[in-house]
Amino acid sequence: MNGFWSIVLIEFMHLRRDKTTLIIALVLPMMQMILFGYAINFDVKHIQTVVVDLDNTPESKQYLDRLHATHYIDYVAYAKTPEKAAGMLQDGAARVGVTIPPGFARTIEAGGNPQVGVMIDGSDAQVSVRAQLAFLSPPASLPKGAPDARINVLFNPSSKTATFMIPGLIAVILQVVTVALTAFSIVREKEQGTLEQLMVTPVGRLALMLGKLAPYAILAMGELLAVFFVSDVVFGVSARGSLLVLFFMSLPFVLASLALGLLISTIAQTQGQALQFTQLSLMPSLLLSGYVSPRETMPGWLYLISTVMPATHYIEITRGIMVRGAGFSDLLPQFFALIAIAVVLILLSTFRFRKSLA
Amino acid sequence: MAVNAIETKGLTRKFESMTAVDSVDLSVEKGSIFGFLGPNGSGKSTCIRMLCGVLEPTGGQATVNGFDVAKQPEDVKRTIGYMSQSFSLYRDLSPRENLQFFGSIYGLRGDKLKSRMEAVVDLVGLQKYVDQPSGTLSGGWKQRLALAAALIHEPPLIFLDEPTAGIDPVARRSLWDLLFDLAGGGTTLFVTTHYMDEAERCSQIAYIYMSKIIIRGTPSELKRLPQVSPEGTRRLAIETEDPPRVLMGLKKLPFVRDATLAESEIHLLIDKETSDEDVSKAVSAGGQTASGFRNIEPSLEDVFVAVTKSLEQQ
Repeated sequence: MNGFWSIVLIEFMHLRRDKTTLIIALVLPMMQMILFGYAINFDVKHIQTVVVDLDNTPESKQYLDRLHATHYIDYVAYAKTPEKAAGMLQDGAARVGVTIPPGFARTIEAGGNPQVGVMIDGSDAQVSVRAQLAFLSPPASLPKGAPDARINVLFNPSSKTATFMIPGLIAVILQVVTVALTAFSIVREKEQGTLEQLMVTPVGRLALMLGKLAPYAILAMGELLAVFFVSDVVFGVSARGSLLVLFFMSLPFVLASLALGLLISTIAQTQGQALQFTQLSLMPSLLLSGYVSPRETMPGWLYLISTVMPATHYIEITRGIMVRGAGFSDLLPQFFALIAIAVVLILLSTFRFRKSLA
Repeated sequence: MAVNAIETKGLTRKFESMTAVDSVDLSVEKGSIFGFLGPNGSGKSTCIRMLCGVLEPTGGQATVNGFDVAKQPEDVKRTIGYMSQSFSLYRDLSPRENLQFFGSIYGLRGDKLKSRMEAVVDLVGLQKYVDQPSGTLSGGWKQRLALAAALIHEPPLIFLDEPTAGIDPVARRSLWDLLFDLAGGGTTLFVTTHYMDEAERCSQIAYIYMSKIIIRGTPSELKRLPQVSPEGTRRLAIETEDPPRVLMGLKKLPFVRDATLAESEIHLLIDKETSDEDVSKAVSAGGQTASGFRNIEPSLEDVFVAVTKSLEQQ
C-alpha cells in the first residue's frame, strides 16, 4: 500500500483541473435524468387520427366527440373515402383512421349496434396497442346502441416486435458507427500535430471537412447494406417498400451523422473527450428519436429537441419504407429535413474549425 | 527592384487583454538565413503563425513574398514552406506517400509531382527509407523528411521552427549543411532556434522578448552593441582546475560584472582597469591558480543575457 494516499491525492488534483470530466460526472446525470424521465413515456395520448364521416349526422358527431374526450384520439384531418385515409396512414400523416358508415344514425335509431371501421398503423407497437384499447372499451357509449369498432391493424398486424424494432435499430446502429468514424478525425490530427502542417498549406477548410467525410460516407453505405442483410436473413424483416429508395434516402442521414462526428471532432480537445462526446450524442438519439417510446408522448420542448436530431427523421423513413411500404414522395419532408440538418452540421463544423485555430 | 521576402510594419496580435506580439517591424532579405530568436512564450510562434497566414493580425501589416498576410493568406500559404519542431507529417504513411499527399495539396500532378518528389528525396538523401512508415524513422531522418515535404512545391521562403530540437549533433550538422545549400540556391530561410551556434550561422538575427523585438542585426553587429560591451569593460577568459568553485568566488568580487562557465573556461566581464594580475590574485586567494589569460569577444549568448538583464533592470 506504499503510496496509496499520494495517488489518491494526485487523482483529486487532476480531477479538479479537468473541468470536462467533472461536468460530465456531476451535471450530466441530472440533465439526463430529467430529459429521459420525460422522454420515456409509454402512456400514449393524442394519437393523430383521420376521420371519414360518411354519415354526417348529429349522432356521428357525438360519437367522434366522445372518442376525442378520452384524450387518446386527436383528429388531425378529414378524408372523403376510407382509401384516402389509408393513404394518409401510409405516409405517416396519421396513425389511426376512423370510418363512420352511412346509416350510422339510422342503425342506432333502430336500436342496433352500428359498425365503425377503424384502421390502425401497427408500425409503432405502443401507439397501436393504445389505440386499440381506446376503441375496444369506449369510455362513454352513446345513450343507446354502442357502436361496434371493427379494428384492422394495417401494418405489422401480428404486432411482431422485430418488425417494429429492427427499422429503428438500423438507424441507431448506423448512427453509433458513423459518428464514431469522424469524431476522431480532426482531433487526432490536432493531437498528433499533423494539423499544424496542414494549416500552413493552401488546403480549403470546406474541402478539408468534406474530404474527411466522403470516404466514411462510402464505408457507412456499405455498412448499411450489411445491416439490411442481417435484418432480412436473421430477423426476417425485409422492406415492404423499395429497398433502393430506402438506400437512397439513407444517404443524407449518413452525411448528417458523419457531420455530427466532425463537429464533435472540432470541439473536443483530446481524443478522450471526443469519445465522451460521441457517447453523449448517442443517448438522446436512442431515447428522443421515437425509437424507444413514441414522440407523441413528449412534452413540447422535448418534441422540438427531437425534431433537430437526424435519427428522428431517419427512423420515420426506415419504419415508413420497411413496415408501411411508403414510397419516396411520402417521406419527402423527412428526407429534406435530413439534408437540412446535414448541411447545417457541415457548415457549423467548418465554422467551429476556423475558430478553434485562433 | 528586389522586394524583401518578409516585410512587417507594426505587426501586432492581441488575445483578449494579452498582447502576444507588439508592433513588430521586420525585413527579411531574399536569400538570407534569418534567425528569429527569443525565449519560449515571448511571441515567436504567434508571429510565425501570422507570417504563415494561419492567424490574422489584429494590428499593423505584413507582406510575405509580396502578399498581404491578412488579405491574401492563401497566396502566402501557396508560396511558403513550413517545418515544425515536432514531426507533423503522417506517421502511418511512408515518406513517399507523405510527399505525394503534400505535393498534391500544392497542386502538383503527374510527371511534375514525380520529378519534384525525386528532387527533394535526392536533396535530403532519403532514398533508402522512402517506403517504410515515417513514424519508424529516427529523429534526424524525420526532420529531413519534414524538410523535403516543406520543399516539395519549390517555395522561395521556408519557415523552420526549431528544426533541430531534440536531434543528435551529427544529424544537426548535416541538416544545417542542407540549409546552407538551400540558402546558396537562393531560398530564404526564416529559422527559430535556442542553439547559439546555430544563431551564429544566421546572416541576420532578430531577438524578441516580452512580445517586442528588442535587438536586430548581424551577429557581429549585435556583439558590438553598447549594452553588451559597456564602456570601460572588457571580457576575459581564464583556465583553472576547479572552475565551478572559482566561479563562485569570482562572482562576489566588486570588479566582476558578469561571470560564466564556457568550454571548461571561465568567461568574465570585468572593469577595464582591472588587470589580469588582479584576477590572478583573487583566484589565488581562494587557493587556486589561474592561467591562460586572453581577451575575448562576447558570444551571442552573452549578447542575449546582457540585453535581457538591462531590460529587466529598467
